Amino acid sequence: MVNKHYPLETRGLSVTFNAGGENEVVAFSDITFTLKADEILAIVGPSGCGKSTLFNVIAGLQPATVGEVFVNGTRVLDAKGQVGYMLQKDMLLPWRSVRENVGLGLEIKGVPKEERNAVADRLIAAYGLKGFENSKPGTLSGGMRQRVAFMRTLALDPDVILLDEPFSALDFQTRILLQGEVMDIIGKQRKSAILVTHDIGEAITMADRVMILSRRPGRVKQIVSIDLDRDERDPVKLRSNTRYQEYFQLLWSELDI
Amino acid sequence: MSWSRLRYLPGQIGLAMVVFAIWEGLVQAEVLSAHLYGYPSGIAAKVYGLLSTGELFRHAGVTAFAAILGFLLGSAIGSFAGLCLWLNETVARIVRPFIVAINGVPKIAFAPLIIVWFGIGIESKIAIAAALTFIVSLIATYNGTLETDRDLLRLMRSLGATRLQSWRKVVVPAALPWVLSTLRLNVGFALIGAVVGEYISSQEGLGYLVYYSGVLYDLNGVWAGILALMVVALLMDRGVTEIDRRLRW
Repeated sequence: MVNKHYPLETRGLSVTFNAGGENEVVAFSDITFTLKADEILAIVGPSGCGKSTLFNVIAGLQPATVGEVFVNGTRVLDAKGQVGYMLQKDMLLPWRSVRENVGLGLEIKGVPKEERNAVADRLIAAYGLKGFENSKPGTLSGGMRQRVAFMRTLALDPDVILLDEPFSALDFQTRILLQGEVMDIIGKQRKSAILVTHDIGEAITMADRVMILSRRPGRVKQIVSIDLDRDERDPVKLRSNTRYQEYFQLLWSELDI
Repeated sequence: MSWSRLRYLPGQIGLAMVVFAIWEGLVQAEVLSAHLYGYPSGIAAKVYGLLSTGELFRHAGVTAFAAILGFLLGSAIGSFAGLCLWLNETVARIVRPFIVAINGVPKIAFAPLIIVWFGIGIESKIAIAAALTFIVSLIATYNGTLETDRDLLRLMRSLGATRLQSWRKVVVPAALPWVLSTLRLNVGFALIGAVVGEYISSQEGLGYLVYYSGVLYDLNGVWAGILALMVVALLMDRGVTEIDRRLRW
C-alpha cells in the first residue's frame, strides 16, 4: 500500500450501456490515469468517445461499470464536497442572489449563515464581482455568471476541480479572460483540475498534460506533457509560439477526427 | 393600475357601448324578443333595483366568500400535495393513475355527492370549489416539479444535498411559477364550483340568482347575475395578480 495518495486516481474505468443486452454500447474502457497535485490535466477526444460519461463517472455522478475513482485515496462516491465541478451551463439558481448562489454548498453542509456569507463575500470581492452580491443571476452577463459558478465551486474548497467545457458558451474575449483566471486560481491555491474539452487550443493553453482518448469505445491513446511556463501561456501570444503549433499538430493528428 | 393599461380603457368602454347599443336597438326594433334575450336598459334597471335593496351585494358576497375560501383551501392543499409527491417516487407512481382518472371525469359530476355529504349550506359550495381547485393545483404543481432541471439536481447531490434539501432549495422554488400560473386558472374553477353548488341547491348566491331568474324567464335577472359574476371574477383575478407579484422570483 502506497502511503502517498494522488488527488485523483482512476483504475480501469469502463462504462457499458445495456451490458449483455442487444444494444450493448461500450462508452469507454480501461481508463487508468493519475492526477498529480497542482496539475491541470486536459482530456480531449473525438466526439462520441464518451468524454461526458467519463466526466460524470469521475465526478461521482454516475457509477462505472468496472473500475474505481479515488480522491485522496477514498472512493469518489464517499468523497462528497472534495470534488467540485463546473459545466458549460452555469446552473445558478435564478431566485437566489449571487451571494446565496456562491454559498449554496456551504448552506447544504450546514454552515451558519454569517459564516457562509463571509466566505461568499470574500470570494465575490476577490474575483471581481464586488457590488453584485445581492444581484440576481438573470441580470449578469454570461461571463459573470460563469465566474459566480466557479466561486460556488471554490466555496467548498475542494482539492480537485472538474471542468467540463466550462468556457465553450462564452464569447472569445470572456473565454480567454476566464481561462487565465481559472489557471491562476488553481495555481495559487494549489488545487488540481481536470479539464474536459473539444478545443485543442484550450487544452494546450491551460493543461500541464493532455490525455487523448480514441474513438468509441474510448481508450487512453496517449498522454502528452505540455512544457510551457505559465507566463508563456498567454492565449494570444501563444498562437505565434512555435512549440504551441507543434503541440497543436501533434494533438490534431492523434485525435484522428 | 398603470397608465399603459388605462390607455386602452376608452376603447374597452367603447366596445361594450357598441355591443349594448346594437343589442338595445335590435330589441327596440323587435328583431330580438325582449322576453327571450333580455335587453341592456332592462338589465340596468334590474341591477339598479338589486343594488338598492342590497340583494346583489348579499348574493355576490355569498358566492365570493364560497369561491375565495374554496380557492384558498383547494389551491394551497393541492399545490402542497403536488410538491410533496416529488419527494417519494413510489407513492407518486402509485397514485398517478388515480389522479389521471379523477382529472378525466368532469369534476362537476362529483357535486351531488358533495352536497349530500356537506349539506345544502355554504359548506358544500366551499367544498366543491376546493375540490376542483385542489385537483388542478395538484396535477399542475406535480408536473411542474417533474420539469426541474436534472443537472441542477445532480449539482445538489454532488454538493451532498439530501433529497429533502434538494426539494426545499431547488424543486419548490423551481415549481413556483407553475403554482402561481395555476392560481389564475383556479379563479375560474373556484367560481364554477361555487355557482354549480348554488344551482343544485341553495337559497342565496349569484348561482341561485341566475338559476331562479332563468326559471322565471327573467332574462334581465340572469344577465344581472352574470355581470355580477364577472365583477367577482375580475376582483379575484386582481387578487391573484397581487399574490403573483409578491411571490414570483
